[in-house]
Amino acid sequence: MAVAFNKLVTPTSDDYTVETPHTKIAIGLGVFGIVIAMAVLVIALVAANDLEGGNAPQLLAYAFGLQTTALVTIKVAIAAALVGILVRLWLRIESVKESLGVLQPSDHGSGPSLGDVHTDFGDATVTKGVPETLPIHKMARTMWFPMVAMGPMFVVAGLVTSIVWGNNVGTETGVAASGWTQGLQFLGEGLVLAGISFLLGSILASLREGGADVQKALGLNVITLKMPATAKAFVVLMATGLMISMVQFGLYIYTVTGLNADSFAEIAPWWAWMGPLRELGLALLLAGIVLALATIANVLGFQFSRIRSIAATGE
Amino acid sequence: MTTKTIDDFTTETTSKAPDRNVPQKAGKALWAPMFAVSLMGFAIGMGLAISRANMISNGDDPLQIAAFGQYIPAAFFFGFAMVFAAISLAIAKILGEFRVGGGSVQAATNSDVKTLKMPATAKGFLVGMMMAMMILLTAVVLHVFAGIAIADGGVDPILAEQWTIWLEAARRFGTVLYLFSIMLGLITIVKVIHYQTFRIRQIAHTE
Repeated sequence: MAVAFNKLVTPTSDDYTVETPHTKIAIGLGVFGIVIAMAVLVIALVAANDLEGGNAPQLLAYAFGLQTTALVTIKVAIAAALVGILVRLWLRIESVKESLGVLQPSDHGSGPSLGDVHTDFGDATVTKGVPETLPIHKMARTMWFPMVAMGPMFVVAGLVTSIVWGNNVGTETGVAASGWTQGLQFLGEGLVLAGISFLLGSILASLREGGADVQKALGLNVITLKMPATAKAFVVLMATGLMISMVQFGLYIYTVTGLNADSFAEIAPWWAWMGPLRELGLALLLAGIVLALATIANVLGFQFSRIRSIAATGE
Repeated sequence: MTTKTIDDFTTETTSKAPDRNVPQKAGKALWAPMFAVSLMGFAIGMGLAISRANMISNGDDPLQIAAFGQYIPAAFFFGFAMVFAAISLAIAKILGEFRVGGGSVQAATNSDVKTLKMPATAKGFLVGMMMAMMILLTAVVLHVFAGIAIADGGVDPILAEQWTIWLEAARRFGTVLYLFSIMLGLITIVKVIHYQTFRIRQIAHTE
């Protein structure tokens, strides 16, 4: 299964001149998301001006479903852009390997001796060969696609229940549909953000393996950065955020099935803190993404310093 | 399938490795503070939400409950504005690594240093990010004003509801715009990697 997903993030040929379709897909999806969001903006403004007319609750229910759909559409666009980055990174590795083979001075040693070393970019390990893939990287490569694929399914299911909600405002069915909409759509958003996080993990994996592969191919000992604190915190934040997204879904289902949906007074105190809770889940996932990006920047800095050193001194 | 050549990229040539540009310097310096501030916003928002849930359970003053209904999104979306800023700045930091790193590798091989000029996607990324930030922060400030006005009493409930809907619409649109600009930033990274793949082969004559 993971092998099938890997095909999506690896180039179909070694031809680095080819323009991959990911950029166009990402922009297309992104513009589509913006169009949906603009429609939602208009619906919300109409609803705000029709509060005494009685149609506002119905319009706002539809707007809620559509708004989350817009957000997830753009998040899928972001995932497409990240897949584009992964594909380009593999082609970059081949280019760096071939080019450094030419640029590297012929008279060179094998680099630092085996063991632990400290670099300007953090602690690193020197090994003879390419280090084993980290379990978290294996997980990232296996999990990104199911997450990115399942998330929109939940959001579309929530879009359908938002229509049921809009058509049954003020009834028990409407309250239940409202709960399902919120639970389903925020779970979907959480899954897509987790998918994006796993894609960032896959980028870190390809940087690690690709960097090691280049060094080994040039006859050098392999220097690999140890997992920095930002990467560890990224994993913790992502896992916590995803768990909260799942828990909020369970709680919404509980409140509309386990409590008396006819009596909104019983549900209201629950929803008063569950709304912010679901936002907190997404917030933690986003915070994790910040740290993943910062880690990528650090690894890139390290790799450029290695490339520079190899080109200038041979090791 | 469309193919590119190195001539399809617009570049500038310098004799030594370029420094980070202004947004990239900001990215390097500010991503971490923005990240820390965002966590504070989320923590405050969650604390306010728990307080409001207790107020609803205890049947407290409806005006205060309604006011907290404004403060909670204000805190959360302040957090979101900051976390999206941190993401954007981290992307700018990555672009800075490519610019400085790519330049230094070229300099180390005694080649002319050719750097990709800022592509349209990067400009869109910056403009979109600033617009989204302004929309979100304006909505946050107005949520706080609305909360204070509601808590003082004398605000027509219909008007208060109208404010809520307008502000929610604005902050949701701001979020969408932020995500769109982040996507443009990532597409810029794709372009930079593509260019650098060409350039390193050009230096080594392996194209």
